[in-house]
Amino acid sequence: MSVRSHVAALAAVSAALIALALGYHNPFILDLVFTGLIFAVLGQSWNWISGYAGQISFGHALFFGCGAYAAALFAVHHGSPWLALVGGAVVAAVLAVLVGFPCFALRGHYFSIATIAVAAIAEITASNADVLGKANGFEMPILAPSLAALQFTDKGQYVLVALGLFVIAQLATVGLERSRLGYYLRAIRQNQEAAASVGIDARLAKLVTYAGCGALAALAGALYAQQTLYVGPEDTLGLPISISIALVGVVGGLSTVWGPALGAFVYVVLARYGGAMLGGSGRGLDLVLYGALILLIVSLQPDGLAGFARFVRRRGTAASS
Amino acid sequence: MAVDFGPLPQLIVSGILTGLLFALISVGLTLIFGVMDVVNFAHGEFLMLAMYATFGAGLIGLNPILALPVVALLMFLVGAIVYRVLIRRLLAGPPSAVVFGTFGLLVFLQGAAQFLFTSDYRSVPNPPFQGTLHLGSINLGEAQIVAGLGALVLTAFVFAFVEYTEPGRALRALSEDRVAAQLMGIDVQRMNAFAFGLGIACAGAAGALLMLTYQAYPRVGTEFALTAFVVVALGGFGSVQGALVGAVLVGLVEVLGGFYISPALKMIPVYVLYLLVVLVRPQGLLGRR
Repeated sequence: MSVRSHVAALAAVSAALIALALGYHNPFILDLVFTGLIFAVLGQSWNWISGYAGQISFGHALFFGCGAYAAALFAVHHGSPWLALVGGAVVAAVLAVLVGFPCFALRGHYFSIATIAVAAIAEITASNADVLGKANGFEMPILAPSLAALQFTDKGQYVLVALGLFVIAQLATVGLERSRLGYYLRAIRQNQEAAASVGIDARLAKLVTYAGCGALAALAGALYAQQTLYVGPEDTLGLPISISIALVGVVGGLSTVWGPALGAFVYVVLARYGGAMLGGSGRGLDLVLYGALILLIVSLQPDGLAGFARFVRRRGTAASS
Repeated sequence: MAVDFGPLPQLIVSGILTGLLFALISVGLTLIFGVMDVVNFAHGEFLMLAMYATFGAGLIGLNPILALPVVALLMFLVGAIVYRVLIRRLLAGPPSAVVFGTFGLLVFLQGAAQFLFTSDYRSVPNPPFQGTLHLGSINLGEAQIVAGLGALVLTAFVFAFVEYTEPGRALRALSEDRVAAQLMGIDVQRMNAFAFGLGIACAGAAGALLMLTYQAYPRVGTEFALTAFVVVALGGFGSVQGALVGAVLVGLVEVLGGFYISPALKMIPVYVLYLLVVLVRPQGLLGRR
């Protein structure tokens, strides 16, 4: 897709969601849309490092939790939530560099397992540290609704804020695809030795990307916390959250601009009708469907749902020409 | 701060027994990796299925020890079928297909368990070996001893099988050089299915033994699978002896860390150990370059 068609698609999606947020007051649907947007952003963050750069992370909750905890800490200490967004993003980016610097020496499954281990260490630490509220986490104080407090009475306004973040993530991805860094990442994914032999600093490229991933996921985590007003270790740092984020990325399709959004849409719809939402433990039917979907996609069409769309389009153009 | 060394013998024995169970789980994981280069992210979920199967056997009056051969055989078949239906396809795709495929299997099996059995904790009714053994200052539950020693016997059995039998030699040949093994007339697909079945059967047997002291719930596998990844990284991916040594080490770290640091933090040293080993000595403690 060209830049113009990406922007047109983004404008159309945004217009539809703005209309929905302003005109449709069903809190349940708006909640679903909000969660979907948050997951689209998380999936996109995951897609940068695991899709474009090919470093599969199963510990992305680390950054989501980082943002959520920043929001909670600023809220209970009467700081501005906007500062929490910035603070959470910066801390997550620094954390990403600290984790990435040693771990990007690891290849394949060694890296994936390391991401699980690091996120698990963070979860255990948060569950046991007084400053992080231990296992109970934080109940955030309810403030007078305003944009400055980033708390609203109307769910539609949360949707608008999340939409803003989603638009940023999508535009950043379109930019990434066309940037020097984007080409480096794809070269590294294809063959790191070959990429290094033409002078690409693989570790630096991955570190920069990972820092961006961390910041983006932290922003999503902070917004999510502003809406739920509760932050606990299991709900923000737990392995199930990391798994959900990876699910969204894989199902939608790796290394595509719209894959994560598609994956997030399927995720919230299945979660809605399968019972469980983020952190909840429903009946598990959504997981069964999701798992089955991944198995089907991976064994039949490794490019994800977006790959199916491309496949169909290619068939279409082949038939018409 | 004074460190109390009084309970040390008790902790060491307990750590070793725990580690032996980790060994049996990890041997399955390392075997599958060695033969076909597959890191089975769903390994813990097969363990979880075996635990539920053992629980089911308990409901009809079969104790975990009697259920073990049946569960292990059943899991062998499940593993061989999963290989035929899924893993074989994944191996034909890009390297990431295997990671995502076994990851999808993890999600699917965990969801299915939650859907079918709910997230309640299940333990075998009237479990055997309820006594406690006193050896000087060491007190051990009989069930823990039986589980640990049972795992040791089975791990030794798998080791002997891989080392001294004809199919075992074929498995080792495959893990050393797939193409050469194929040229020597080894049927790769058949041996892969066999190895996957055997690896899952190890997890199955471990699941049956675990039910002597543990409870089954849908997410029980993740916890053990993570430990098994650490063990296998320590021992070197693909090495059976390495898995045994790594498992005992991890068992000791977990039990000693749980006592001397805090039970809530006991997994942190284990994960740190993983990071240290893969970063400093990626071939594992016993692995070759």
